[in-house]
Amino acid sequence: MHGEYKMPGGKLVVIDLDLHDDRLANVQLSGDFFLEPDSALQTIHAALIGQPADADEATLASVLHDALSSEVMMYGVSPEAIAVAVRRALHRSPEA
Amino acid sequence: MMRTDWRDHDWQLIHTIPQSPTLHMALDDVLTHEVGAGRRAPTLRIWEWAAPAVVIGRFQSLRNEVDTAAAQRHGIEVVRRVSGGGAMFIEPGNTITYSIYAPLSLIKDMSFQQAYAFMDAWVIEALGELGIKAWYQPLNDITSAGGKIAGAAQAHRGGAVLHHVTMAYDINAAKMLEVLRIGREKLSDKGTTSAAKRVDPLRSQTGLPREAVIARMIATFRRLRGLGDDSLLASELADAESLAQGKFASAAWLADVP
Repeated sequence: MHGEYKMPGGKLVVIDLDLHDDRLANVQLSGDFFLEPDSALQTIHAALIGQPADADEATLASVLHDALSSEVMMYGVSPEAIAVAVRRALHRSPEA
Repeated sequence: MMRTDWRDHDWQLIHTIPQSPTLHMALDDVLTHEVGAGRRAPTLRIWEWAAPAVVIGRFQSLRNEVDTAAAQRHGIEVVRRVSGGGAMFIEPGNTITYSIYAPLSLIKDMSFQQAYAFMDAWVIEALGELGIKAWYQPLNDITSAGGKIAGAAQAHRGGAVLHHVTMAYDINAAKMLEVLRIGREKLSDKGTTSAAKRVDPLRSQTGLPREAVIARMIATFRRLRGLGDDSLLASELADAESLAQGKFASAAWLADVP
């Protein structure tokens, strides 16, 4: 499943994921954003994996805020934008 | 850590023979590390390209961004860089690329937006001297009334900031669009994507040879910031060659974000 969101004033945020037993699995975030350190990408994946398929945007954003330390710097991307891309992936058919 | 100014540093220039795309990726990695460790003075490196390339950002999906079959057909190498940002389509002679390796103290307490504009203020000035009124377009573009001129990316590593920029000198838009995939969602906000933004290259804007534009840029940096002439150490080149082969040429790194 694939979802894209162009963050207003920011960058393209893309999520690819699968569902296993109604939970997020194999989550991959990508896009032309900036993220420091780059290992934060794996932190984001780990935080999203296992979340229920019906988690809403606010819940997903909150999970990401909790997982990311204050050391992580984001430019052109945010927990809220990632949450939108996840919801879009979950709402769209695989070929969308 | 105290905030430093450009003139607090002994800036050095590296401008060498054309090098392969993977070696360029590795040199950025090695030289950022060397400046961060204090073994190298802060440096401006002007790139010369030995081969055409698509350079994708650290977090871009290889298959979403690049038509690898088309790239192969055109003999274009696809590489992933260490910084975020968007894909660049490079043909030797068509782009002007440079890197600045600086201690983090130079941009201490700046927002990302401030730091990008700060690192390229000298280029805005150099473009003005060439008759182009250019300005910074957040997040990371240099633009002009005619269109986009350049895109920048930064990465922070162990006490140093890498700031690198690719400027369009000339462009083969048809070939670029064959090789880069341009998604619809990307077009939704600003009407266009980084790679396809209406680019107004320096060749048509200045009427000058690429070498003359580079010479003006170097002269402006030298006047504003101070700049000595340097070259790569044999050890730096050896480290970069090893990293180019071991990491940047590897399928694992290229497909790190598949």
